[in-house]
Amino acid sequence: MMPVFLLELRTEEIPANALPGARRQLEERLGAALAEKGFEGATVVCRSTNRRLTVTVSGLPGRQPDRQERVMGPPARVAFDAEGRPTKAAEGFARKLGVSIGTLERTATDKGEYVTAVVRHEGRPAGEILAEIVPAAVRGLRFPKTMRWGLGRYTFVRPVHGVVALLDGEVVPMELFGVASGRTTVGHRVHAPESFELGSATGHAAALAERKVLIDPAARRRMLEERAEQLAGEAGCRVHPDESLVAEHVELVEYPGLIRGQFDEAFLELPPEVVVTTLRHHQKCLILETPAGELAPHFLAVIDRMDDPLELIRQGNEWVIGARLADARFFFDEDRKRPLAELVPGLDRLEFHRVLGSLGEKARRVGRLAVRLAEALGARVDPADLERAAALVKADLVTNMVGEFPELQGIMGGHYLRRDGEPEEIWTAARDHYRPVGFEGEIPASEIGRLIGVADRLDTLAGLFAVGEVPTGSRDPFGLRRAAQAVVKIVAEAGWELDLAEAVASAAEGVSGVADADTGAVAQQVVAFMEDRVRRYLTEQIGVAGDTADAVMAAGWARLPGLVVRAAALEKARGNAAFRALALAFKRVRNITDGQADAGVDPGLFEQDAEKALYGEAMAFHEALERELAKGQVEGAFAGMGRLADVLETFFVDVLVMAEDEGIRMNRIALLKMLGRDFLKLADLSRLQVEGSES
Amino acid sequence: MRRGILHHRQVEVAALDLQSLILSLSRFWADNGCIVQQPYDVEVGAGTMHPETFLRVLGPEPYRVAYVQPSRRPADARYGENPFRLGRHLQLQVILKPSPDNVQELYLRSLHALGIDPAVHDIRFEEDNWESPTLGAWGVGWQVLLDGMEITQFTYFQQAGGIELAPISAELTYGLERIAMFLQRKDSIYDIEWGGGVPYGLVRLQEEIEHSIYGFEVADVEMLRRHFEDWEREVGRCLEHDPPLVLPALEATLKTSHLFNLLDARGAVSVTERVGLIGRVRRNAVRVARTFVAQREALGWPLGNALEGEVE
Repeated sequence: MMPVFLLELRTEEIPANALPGARRQLEERLGAALAEKGFEGATVVCRSTNRRLTVTVSGLPGRQPDRQERVMGPPARVAFDAEGRPTKAAEGFARKLGVSIGTLERTATDKGEYVTAVVRHEGRPAGEILAEIVPAAVRGLRFPKTMRWGLGRYTFVRPVHGVVALLDGEVVPMELFGVASGRTTVGHRVHAPESFELGSATGHAAALAERKVLIDPAARRRMLEERAEQLAGEAGCRVHPDESLVAEHVELVEYPGLIRGQFDEAFLELPPEVVVTTLRHHQKCLILETPAGELAPHFLAVIDRMDDPLELIRQGNEWVIGARLADARFFFDEDRKRPLAELVPGLDRLEFHRVLGSLGEKARRVGRLAVRLAEALGARVDPADLERAAALVKADLVTNMVGEFPELQGIMGGHYLRRDGEPEEIWTAARDHYRPVGFEGEIPASEIGRLIGVADRLDTLAGLFAVGEVPTGSRDPFGLRRAAQAVVKIVAEAGWELDLAEAVASAAEGVSGVADADTGAVAQQVVAFMEDRVRRYLTEQIGVAGDTADAVMAAGWARLPGLVVRAAALEKARGNAAFRALALAFKRVRNITDGQADAGVDPGLFEQDAEKALYGEAMAFHEALERELAKGQVEGAFAGMGRLADVLETFFVDVLVMAEDEGIRMNRIALLKMLGRDFLKLADLSRLQVEGSES
Repeated sequence: MRRGILHHRQVEVAALDLQSLILSLSRFWADNGCIVQQPYDVEVGAGTMHPETFLRVLGPEPYRVAYVQPSRRPADARYGENPFRLGRHLQLQVILKPSPDNVQELYLRSLHALGIDPAVHDIRFEEDNWESPTLGAWGVGWQVLLDGMEITQFTYFQQAGGIELAPISAELTYGLERIAMFLQRKDSIYDIEWGGGVPYGLVRLQEEIEHSIYGFEVADVEMLRRHFEDWEREVGRCLEHDPPLVLPALEATLKTSHLFNLLDARGAVSVTERVGLIGRVRRNAVRVARTFVAQREALGWPLGNALEGEVE
């Protein structure tokens, strides 16, 4: 049996968000350190609860393997005299390494012959190595936030109270954060708080389980999920799936207990989002729903113990949730005392940005921009409605409820405006205008919601770029990438014939009064930023290849509905063989024609059949293209393009474009230019990476 | 009929009234080496601003103290109408410096003193870090949840007055009204029993109503601004005096902090101005903290030096 090593680091409660990373890092760091010391086959597994981190290393030989090392000494001509006898230099070298002089060897190198010696390193016992590398690996852990405690000498995620380090039955001596290693640990704080000694590294998980500590997060998750199903079923409900909350709970306990409680059904009259936010975000409760998918007046609360002996825990949780819901209802009733519209002036007192002014000012800019977008689109929306709506959708930011639960912004506005009797397109606009988040989620249902959603984000983008708050690397505190993605998604999916560059220019103009920046430069920056998001939209949402996106975007990208259709059509068309040939031919067309003057085509100057044929096909393609583009039938256009592959290939085989006669040469170039212009209305095929192309 | 979820009868031993909570906790912490101090007689937003915390956590002198601090937050006032919110609430604050190894255990034992037996409850320590921009202070810790109810803030102070701390103090802040509400299972703060059968509302409701009206509607904004300037200047005068007058300077700083809170509740602080005013309070808090440390050092750390004789 190979020895097994165990480390247990007992701490005060570690935050849930720190644990998965700590486990990963510890496995990686220790795995790497072991490999470096020659323990390649060792398996490192890290487990944890909220109060301890453990590492188990198995597959560990008892000793480090012996190792030989060849050490370079002085040059041979220095180490040996003319007769080949060792000199002082050779003796010194041998003495330093502790080898006999007779074992020195001569080794040829690039720099000439050198004296070398083979040194044997005897492997050290595993325990000795672990005592060195384990503390280093633990101290090297990175956490979202660290702290000091006591005299302030040590820094870790939370104070450390116990270290167990065992190699089989032997304590591996080490010190971590001022705590010496031993074999003593404790069980669950409530169920088995007494300290006890571990006989060996292997029995650790079982010894803890006996004492109600489940060290394996995966096992805790299974238990939690099974118990949740069971408790939900008993109440005739099902658990509303909540992956991230379950994942968090798994990290928050040593023993995953679960209780079911209920609350007053009268609270179900509140908007369901309010109830869910209270239960989930504030009490971390799992939500139960009825078979019909409606909110049930029950909840599941995770507790760090196996039972609720006097039912006090259930009662306490029910009381807290009742109080929290009553508090939320108080806010709701307060907010309902006046129509939401009356809160609009309050937006002037909320800051959007130090330089860019209040939310009131922003809402007015957004209103004006939305009107300009509507005009550009020819949308049938009353400008006065739009400007009013731009402020109304933000008014919930002044309410008690959103003040308390910021995550309900928009949602509360929707509920309140609906109850105020506002038209559906207004209240849905309030509800929807923060959606989608990036590419995630549906676009707003109403045209007003879409217009305000796009105008709001364009104003944010232009404004923040104007004051220099530009995202860099992973830093994007204002979520500008997501804002730009949402704009792209709305415009594309609403099928808006809107020139994005012009829309951005309008937004930049809109903020020019508040931010001191060159409007043109700001617009240019935002457009470049948007371009990247558009490309992502094509690759991630439409699912085309990167070079397909590049090819169609090179032919113009500011109008998204057409772009999306072209991208999808090219992605489909490029699959057939003719297109590969076409892509290569088109590269030649561009190589020949780029930088050449366009003299115009004179059919009378054609000499060869191949060029006459190409001209005929090109003319037919041109006319069909105009027709099809006018009707938006891009697929047909790409099909027509494909049909040109053969005739273009024959042309390049038969015809020498660079004819000696200048007139004939220029005519041929003009023919290719004409074709190239038409192709570029769809895509720049030279961007496609096809077999046989140089790139 | 609505089900009476909010009206569970208490199953545990008779729950303590508010003053018994205070007395029990004070006794417990006195027995555990704390000086039992009294509330600071300057308006503060939290027990942390009391010099027994803000100043004592600085420097190497060990200290243990417990006190109740009425904490004024004018913006949180609700005219006495909201059953869960107060413009002035009571905190019981404990400082243990340096934080002892068994601080969690001590804390759990203090709950025993309140009749809360951890063996039959679910007590959790969930991450909740703390930061006070006006004090230039931050700490790492948890909120302590009792059966889902937040009853205590538990913080390891890392920095105060912009100064990195060593040793580290543990700060325990018990929210007294919340704990009383929870233990007595009352639906409104105003219904909890203060002591001798007198409910909280009869003691404090009128005060909440009047301070709400004052803070939200009546307070003279011009006067508050003027006083902010005056007290801010006074901080400088106190610190520039020879010898520096640290406590008067802290009091003047606390007054500016409270004046800011009043202006804020009154809706008189624009968003842009806000950052500036907070910064001005913090600058003075930092100056006070530095002067205090220099003063204590010059006095030879009268309460001792926890770091001395400590060998790595």
